[in-house]
Amino acid sequence: MADDIRRIRIVLADEQSLFREAVRVVLESEPDLEIVGEARDGLRAVAEAERTTPDIVLLNADLPNCDGIRATRLIKEVSPESRVLVLSTDEDLVILADALEAGASGYLTKTCPLSELIDATRAIHRGETLVPARMLGPLLARLIHRRREQDEASKRLSRLTRREREVLGLLAEGISNEGIAQALVISPETARTHIQNVLGKLDVHSRLEAAAFARQNGLNDELELIR
Amino acid sequence: MNRLLHDGRPVRRPDVWLREADSENALCDPSSGAVHFLNPTALAIWNLCDGQTTAMEMIRAICELSGFDEEVVAEDVTRTLDTFERTGVITWKS
Repeated sequence: MADDIRRIRIVLADEQSLFREAVRVVLESEPDLEIVGEARDGLRAVAEAERTTPDIVLLNADLPNCDGIRATRLIKEVSPESRVLVLSTDEDLVILADALEAGASGYLTKTCPLSELIDATRAIHRGETLVPARMLGPLLARLIHRRREQDEASKRLSRLTRREREVLGLLAEGISNEGIAQALVISPETARTHIQNVLGKLDVHSRLEAAAFARQNGLNDELELIR
Repeated sequence: MNRLLHDGRPVRRPDVWLREADSENALCDPSSGAVHFLNPTALAIWNLCDGQTTAMEMIRAICELSGFDEEVVAEDVTRTLDTFERTGVITWKS
């Protein structure tokens, strides 16, 4: 009877073999769940995901060789249709936010009952995003804060003229004043003036800070486009 | 919905307190003695009623997280905020 069911194919990645064994036994006792691969480190988890293209990867956040967050990103590259459920030892907002940003579909702590893991596996297979209820508020607050920072960064960037954006792009690459003058075919004095204007408009105090601003706000690609 | 368009910022009434437990969360209003139970999304929205966050910011963040349509999320957030307002546990800052 169980063979008629389209099973949810799962790769399980955790350093501890006892944990893997326990989870495997419990999940495989469910008629609709099937473990198709196991891994004890991040790189093997990625390799298993690539080999088996599972529906779900259950991934410990703290894996050796390649941590769960990096592994999530790589798994989404090699098997984009696979959905990743990150398991963590405790409720950690940074790990949760990083995991979701890396492409994970859910997050659970290892303190949860196994029945919750089974429900979570089915839920993310249905396309749901799973976040522990208590972490939802802080996570939304974090997303809102990040969006405000991005909006503020865009506002500051919009104050720059096209020429000043070009200067910022070169600053972000660590090019000297003389190099900027040469690249833009302008005098060193004019380059200095542009740099001062960029620092003033971005409300930063040094070239380094301006370069960091460009990088932190993902402006390098945008700046690349206008050059 | 008008308030959303006008960028209003909901703010929790300071004397209303939240009782958090694993299985249920409730708002307790000492002035009326009323207790209002919250589901996880309502709890998250309650925590965002800080007088700084607009309803629109809440909607966008929930959309980003859930991947749901903005229209659907806006309906839920509006309904939750309307309930908070009707029961008198929030006020609005413009």
